[in-house]
Amino acid sequence: MSQALLRVTDLSKHFGGLKAVEGVDFELFPEEILGVLGPNGAGKTVCFNLISGVYQPTRGEIHFENRTISNMRSHEIATLGVGRTFQIVKPFAMLTVLENVLVARGVTRYGSLTKIWTVWKSESEKAAALEILDRVGLADLADRKAGLLPLGNLRRLEIARALVVGHKLILLDESFAGLRNEEILQLEHLIRRIRKDGITVLLIEHNMRVTMGLCDRIVVLEHGQKIAEGTPEAIQQNERVIEAYLGRRETYNASRSA
Amino acid sequence: MNAYVITIATIVAINAISVCGLNVIVGYAGQISLGHAAFVGIGAYSAALLTTKAGLSFWAALPIVITICGLIGLLLGLPSLRVREDFLAITTIGINFIIEAVFLYIPFFGGALGIGGIPRIVLFGVKLKAFAFFSLCLFFLFVVLIICWWFTRSWAGLASFALREEEEAAASLGISPVRVKLLAFVIGTAMAGLGGALYAHYMRFISATDFSFPVSISLLSMLVLGGMGNLWAPLIGAVILGSLPEIFRPLVDYRIFFYTVLLLLMIRFQPAGLLGEKSMVRRIIASAMPGGKK
Amino acid sequence: MQLFIEQLLNGIAIGSIYALITLGLALVYGIMRILHVAHAAVYTVGAYTGLLVFKVTGSLWLTFLGGMIFCSLIGILIERFVYFPLLKHPPYVPLIASIAIMLSIEEICRLIAGPFILIFPAKLPFPEVSLGPVIISSTLSAVYCITAAVLLFLWIVSTRTEMGLAMRAASQDIPIADAMGINSHNIISATFIIGSSIAAVAGILVGIYYNQVYPTMGAVPAYKCLALIVVGGMGSVPGAVIASLLLGVAETLLIGYANIPLPRDALAFIAMIAVLMWRSEGLMGSR
Repeated sequence: MSQALLRVTDLSKHFGGLKAVEGVDFELFPEEILGVLGPNGAGKTVCFNLISGVYQPTRGEIHFENRTISNMRSHEIATLGVGRTFQIVKPFAMLTVLENVLVARGVTRYGSLTKIWTVWKSESEKAAALEILDRVGLADLADRKAGLLPLGNLRRLEIARALVVGHKLILLDESFAGLRNEEILQLEHLIRRIRKDGITVLLIEHNMRVTMGLCDRIVVLEHGQKIAEGTPEAIQQNERVIEAYLGRRETYNASRSA
Repeated sequence: MNAYVITIATIVAINAISVCGLNVIVGYAGQISLGHAAFVGIGAYSAALLTTKAGLSFWAALPIVITICGLIGLLLGLPSLRVREDFLAITTIGINFIIEAVFLYIPFFGGALGIGGIPRIVLFGVKLKAFAFFSLCLFFLFVVLIICWWFTRSWAGLASFALREEEEAAASLGISPVRVKLLAFVIGTAMAGLGGALYAHYMRFISATDFSFPVSISLLSMLVLGGMGNLWAPLIGAVILGSLPEIFRPLVDYRIFFYTVLLLLMIRFQPAGLLGEKSMVRRIIASAMPGGKK
Repeated sequence: MQLFIEQLLNGIAIGSIYALITLGLALVYGIMRILHVAHAAVYTVGAYTGLLVFKVTGSLWLTFLGGMIFCSLIGILIERFVYFPLLKHPPYVPLIASIAIMLSIEEICRLIAGPFILIFPAKLPFPEVSLGPVIISSTLSAVYCITAAVLLFLWIVSTRTEMGLAMRAASQDIPIADAMGINSHNIISATFIIGSSIAAVAGILVGIYYNQVYPTMGAVPAYKCLALIVVGGMGSVPGAVIASLLLGVAETLLIGYANIPLPRDALAFIAMIAVLMWRSEGLMGSR
C-alpha cells in the first residue's frame, strides 16, 4: 500500500451550534480518483473548503505529503501543488480567458517580494497558458472576456486554472453540474487524462453515473459524518448509503441505468 | 503660459499624484478608501515639520516622508482588513476625521493655526517657483505614472486585479489577500504622501482643514470621473474637477452649486467614469474611428 | 450632583435628536445598503420648511406637517432619480452621489435663504417639569416626548402592521421579499417617506431647541450619524437609537467634565472604532 498523499483525521468543523463536518477520516492515495458523495447538506463542500484552506478545522488534522496543513490558508496550500475548482464558478470576469490562466501561472511568484515585481505579459508565459487552454479545449476562446462565457466553458476554465496550480492534487467541486451530455463525456475524458498525467483527483459530485464510472474509490458523507467508504460496487450495495438517499431511490435507480 | 494657468495646473498635477495613489488602492486592488486626504495630510505635515522644525531640505525629507506615509498606511491598513466590508467605508471615513482632529488639536502640529513658513524647494541652488515648480510636479507625476504602469504589468498588478474580481478564487491560486491589499495600501499612501509634501511646499502654509473628509471625497470623485482602474483616470479626473471651479468662477455665488450639481449628474449618468467601459466618451471615439461601429 | 443630572438630561436630549436623525439612516441602509449622507440635507430642509410654514401660519401642527410632507417628497425624489438607478454599481457610486446631493441642497438653502443664522421663535406647548431642584424645560420635555412618540409609532408600524412586516422582510433579503409578492419598490419608497419625515421632525426640533436654522446645520450630523449606525449594528434601528443616546450623553458629559482636547466628530468615530474592535458587528448587529 503506497503512502497516502492526503490524510484526513477526525476532521470536524462547527459553525456555532451546527456540526457541518464531524469526525471524518479518510486517505487519498497518489494517482487515484476519489469521489465524495452525499445528499445535499452532507458537508462535502465544507470538507473541500477545509482541505483547501478556506476554512480552518474546529478539530482534527489534515496532512498532505506528510506535512500538516490543517491551519494553512488557501494561498499557502496552493503553493504546495493543490488546485481546486468552485461549485459556483468564480471566473475573473473582466479578464480574458488567457489572463485567467495567467493569474494561475503566477502561483510561484506571488509569495516572493522580488518576483512579484516581474512582468507577467511575456511570450513564454502566454505560450504556457495557451498550452493549458488547449488541454481543456478552450484555446480558441483565449481572448474572450471570461465573464461572457457560457457555463460549460466556465467550468473548463476553472479546471484549467486548477491544473496550473494543482500539479499534485486537484479538488473538483461539482464540476459536472449543469453540463450537457457531450460536455459530460468530454469532461470525463479530461479527468482520466489528468490522472494519466500523474495528478491525483478528489471530486465532489451529484451525478451518480459519472461518479461510479470515474472513481476508483468513494467516500460517502451524511450529516457531516462518513457513513461508507469503498469501491463503487461496494458503495452501491451499501445499506446505509441507500438509506441516505431514501426517497431519492427513483433518481438513484434512474441515474444508475442512465 | 500665464501665471494663473500655471497655478491651476500645479494644483492639478499635485492632485493627480495623490489620486494615482488612490487608484492603486481602489482601482487596482478594489479596496475602499474614503479617507485618502488623511494620508495626503500626513505627507504634508511630515514634510512641513521636517523642513521647518528639523531644518532638513525637501530632498532630504522626501524619503523620510514617503516612508512615514507608507508605514502609517501599513499600520492603518492592518485593522482595516479585519473590519467587515460594509464597515470599511465608514472606518476609513473615521480615520480621516480622527487624523484631522489630531492635526487640529495636538499643539505639536500647530493646532488651528497650522504650520507656516514652509520653505520653497531648492534645486541646484535655485528656489523653484511658478513654472519651475510646476515642472517638478510634472516630473513626479511622470514617475508616479510609470510606477502605476509597471504595477499593472507586474504579477503584483495581476494579483490585484484577480483579487478585486474574485477574492476566494484568487486565494486558491496562491494570492494572499492580506499581502496584496497591504501592498496596494502602502503604495497608495506613499503616493499620497508625495502629493502632500509637494502641496506643503507649494502652499507654504498648511492647516488641518486642508485634509478633511470633503477633500477625500473630492479626490475620490476625480478618480471615479476619470474611470477607476484606468492608468490615465487620475489625471483626467484631476483636470476636470480642477478646472471646473475656475470655469464656473464667473458664476460667482452660484459656483459651488453648479459644481456639485455637475458632479451629481456625472456620477449619476457616467458612474464608470469617462474612460470606463461603455462610457459616452469611449463610444464617441469608437464611432469616430475609421471603420468604427456604434 | 444637580449639575450632573442637568448635564445628563441635556445629553439624553441631544442623544434623542441624534436618534431621530440616525433612524432614517438606519432604515435606508437596512433596506438599500446605501449610506444616505444626503439625509442630513433632508434634515436641514425640514428645519427651513418648518420655519417657513411657522412664519406663514404660526401653527405648530402645520409646521410639523408641512416639514414632513415636503421632506418626504425630497426623499422620494432622491430615491427614485438617484439611488435606485445606481443600485447595480459599486457602493461608492451612490455614496458620492449622496454627498453631491447634500452639498447641492446645502447650497440651494444658502442661495434661497441666505448664509445667516435664522431664528426659530416657536414655543413648544409642553410642560415644564421639576424633579426636585432640577427643572426640565418645556423644550427638553418636548424633545423627550416627541422622540418617544416617534419611536413608539415606528415600533407599532414595524411589529403590528403588514407594511412594517414587509419592511423588515425586505431589509433581510429583497429577492425573497419580492418572491413573496411584497412590492419592494413600494417598500423602499415607504421607508424613505418615514425616514425623511422623521428627519424633518428632527430638523424642526433642533431649530426650535437651539433657536438656529442655517444652511450647514446638517454637516455635523451627516457623518457623525454614519458612525452611529455602524456602532448600533448596520441597519439595526434599536441599535442606532441606543448608540445615539449613548453618544449624546457621552459627548455632553465628556465635554462638560473631562476637557478631552478632541472635537465631537472625532469622538464619535473613535467610539465607533473602539466598539468595532470589541464587537465587529456593532452593538446589535447580527452574527
